Amino acid sequence: MESTNRAGQTPILTVRDLKMHFPVKNNEGLLGGRQIVKAVDGVDLDLYAGETLGLVGESGCGKSTLGRSIIRLTRPTAGSVLFQGTEMATIGERQLRPFRRKLQMIFQDPYGSLNPRQTVGTIIKTPLEVHGLAKGKEKERVQDLLARVGLNPEHYNRYPSEFSGGQRQRIGIARALAVEPQVIIADEPVSALDVSIQAQVINLLNALRRDLGIAFIFIAHDLGVVRHFCDRVAVMYLGKIVEYGPKHEVYERPRHPYTQALLSAAPDLNVVRGVPPKEHIRLVGDVPSPIDPPSGCRFRTRCWKAQAICAEQEPVLESRDDSAQDHRIACHFPAQLEGLTAAV
Amino acid sequence: MSAAVNEAAHSAAHTPAGGPRPSRRPSHKGQDEAFLVVDDLSVQFPTEDGLVKAVQNVSYSLPLGRTLAIVGESGSGKSVSSMAIMGLHDPKRTIITGSITLGGEQIVGRSQDDMRKIRGQVASIIFQDPQSSLHPYFTVGWQLREAYREHHQVSKSVAHTRAIEMLDRVGIPHPKRRADQYPFEFSGGMRQRAMIAMALINDPQLIIADEPTTALDVTVQAQILDLLNDLQAEFGSAIIMITHDLAVVAEVADDVMVMYGGRAVEHGTAEQVLVRPNHPYTWGLLQSIPAVSSEQAELYPIKGNPPSLLSLPPGCSFAPRCPYVDRVPDGKCRTDLPELISRSAGDHGLSRCHLSNPDAIFAAEVEPRIA
Repeated sequence: MESTNRAGQTPILTVRDLKMHFPVKNNEGLLGGRQIVKAVDGVDLDLYAGETLGLVGESGCGKSTLGRSIIRLTRPTAGSVLFQGTEMATIGERQLRPFRRKLQMIFQDPYGSLNPRQTVGTIIKTPLEVHGLAKGKEKERVQDLLARVGLNPEHYNRYPSEFSGGQRQRIGIARALAVEPQVIIADEPVSALDVSIQAQVINLLNALRRDLGIAFIFIAHDLGVVRHFCDRVAVMYLGKIVEYGPKHEVYERPRHPYTQALLSAAPDLNVVRGVPPKEHIRLVGDVPSPIDPPSGCRFRTRCWKAQAICAEQEPVLESRDDSAQDHRIACHFPAQLEGLTAAV
Repeated sequence: MSAAVNEAAHSAAHTPAGGPRPSRRPSHKGQDEAFLVVDDLSVQFPTEDGLVKAVQNVSYSLPLGRTLAIVGESGSGKSVSSMAIMGLHDPKRTIITGSITLGGEQIVGRSQDDMRKIRGQVASIIFQDPQSSLHPYFTVGWQLREAYREHHQVSKSVAHTRAIEMLDRVGIPHPKRRADQYPFEFSGGMRQRAMIAMALINDPQLIIADEPTTALDVTVQAQILDLLNDLQAEFGSAIIMITHDLAVVAEVADDVMVMYGGRAVEHGTAEQVLVRPNHPYTWGLLQSIPAVSSEQAELYPIKGNPPSLLSLPPGCSFAPRCPYVDRVPDGKCRTDLPELISRSAGDHGLSRCHLSNPDAIFAAEVEPRIA
C-alpha cells in the first residue's frame, strides 16, 4: 500500500498487518482446549498529522481492540505500528515510554476511567510528573488545562464524584492533553453522554484538533457523529477493514455491501424533513464468531452477493479502477458507481 | 381492530430478508379514539434529601395502532411516567396523582393483584436490557410459557406450543430448539426478540418499549424496529417508545412528546415536533445531533446541565440553559411556569414556552443551523 499518497505527506502513524489474537479456554475435553479469538486480524492504516480517522463497526468487530493495540495497551500478536518511522509494536516497556507521551487515549466511560479517590488536580498532574513536564509549575499547568477543556480552574481540588458525566469526560480529555500528545485515540468518547452534552464534547474535540493540530483515531458506533467529526473512515467487520476512504466517499458512495447495510440501517433524522426514505437493506443472522471466522470473505455468510469465489479467496483491501484513489474496498463484487446514490 | 388498521396490515410489505425493502414508516395508521388516557399525572419520590419531582402534570392520549415517542435525556421523567402505567412503582415509596385509564379502566390506585392481571394482558413493557430482564436460570421457552399461563388457563404443552409460535413470529430461527435454551445462549438481538415475544404473548393492546434498541448495534436495531412496526400493523397495538434518540423517533413515531425536568415541554405529531418545533429545548436537541445522511458544519450544543429534580428552578425549568430568556419581557421565564398550549398559528404542536414568536425565531435562527 502506498503510504505517501496524501499530497506527498508522510503519515505520522503507520499500521501494517496488525494482529491481536487472544487465547481463550473452551470446555471441550477433560482439561479444556485452547482456541484463538482473532479480534484484529491483519489491519493496515495510515494516520496523517492533524487528521481524524473514524473507526466504525458493530460490537465485537475489533475496533476498540485495534485502538488499544495501536497504543500498546495490549501488545499486538503480530504486525507493525510505526510512529514517525519508529517501530512501537515490538519494543519493550522502557523504550515505549517516550511514545506514551506522543499517543494518548480517551475512554468511553467517564465514571470508570477516573480514580474516585484522587482529586482532579492529582489526576491531571500525574502524567506531568511521570514525564517530568512543567516542573515546579504543575499547578499552573493543571489549571491551564482545566480552562482549556472548559472547566473552572478553581475546581482542581474537587473529586470526580462532584462532576457530571460530561464534565468528567472533559477531565479525561485534560489528562490526555497534559503531555502534549500528537495523536489521541478516542474510544467512544461521547456514547455514554446525553445528547445535549455529546455536542459540547464533540465541539471541544474539534477545537483541540483545530488549535493544537492533534490527530485523532475516533472509535464510534454512531455513524452521524463520525460523519461530523472525521476526515476519513475505516469500516471494520470481524477483525478486518472492509472499506476505507475519505468520509464523503464512504458515506455518499459506499461500495462494500456491509457498509451499505450499515448505513441503510442507521436511523435518519432527515426522514421527517422530506428527505426520501432510503431503501432498507436488512442483514440476516448474527456476526459469526471471531474464533472460527468464515473462509475467504468474512462477510459472505450474511452477504446477498456472495458467490463461490467469496468462500475461496479473501478479497484484498484496494482501490478499484473507477473509485477514488484513496477509497479502498475489500470485496469481490463491490457496488458499481453508477446508480449508487439512488440505491442507498 | 379498525378498518384502517387492517388496511395497514395488508399493505405492510414482507420482502425476503437481505434484500432492499420499503421504509418502516407505514403510509397510514388508525386514528381511533384514545385507548390510553394519561391525565395530569405526577410521580414523586420522597427521599432523605427531599421530594424528587420526577414527573409533573403530564397528560396525553394514545389510540390503538399509533406510536407515541417520549423523548428526553436522563432524568427527564420519560421512563418514570411509563412505569406508572404498568404499576411498577413501589406504592410505599411513590406518590402518584392524576389519572391513567387503559381502555376506560382506571390504573392509578389499583392493588398489586389487580395490576398483575393488567400487566402482560392489557399492557406490556419491553426493557432496554434484555440480559437482565430474562431470568438466567430458566429456559426461554419456560419463561414464555409461564407468562402465557399467568393469563390463560391452559396446559403446559398448549402454552409451550404458543411460546414456540411467538418465538417464530419474532423471527427467531429454529424456535423449537431455541425454546429449550437459556438466555445466555442467545445473542443480544435474539434476547431482545425473545423479550418482545414474551411481551406480546398475551396480545396486549399497549406495548411500552423503554429504549428497546439502545443496547443493540444498528443493523440489529433496524431489525427490531422493523419487527415492532410489523407487529403493530398486524395486531393494531398502541406503542409508547421511550428513547433519547431523535433519529429513531423520526423513523418510527406518529406522535412525539419531548420531556424536560419531569414535564412535557413539546407535544405534537412527529412532523410538528421534529420539523416545526416551537420549544427552545427541542431546537437545542436538533442542533446538537449530527445526521447520518447530511453533513453539518457545526453543532450548537445546549449549554449547561439538566436540572436536579430535587430543586427545579421556579418558572420554566429550561430557563437557566435557554438562549432566548432575554427575548421574553420582565424575566417572566424565571418566575412563571409557561403552560403547555398551542403557541402559534399554523401546523404546530403544543409547547411550554413564553416566546411570543417561536415560528419566526425558528425560521430565522434555528433552521439554518439544522438544514
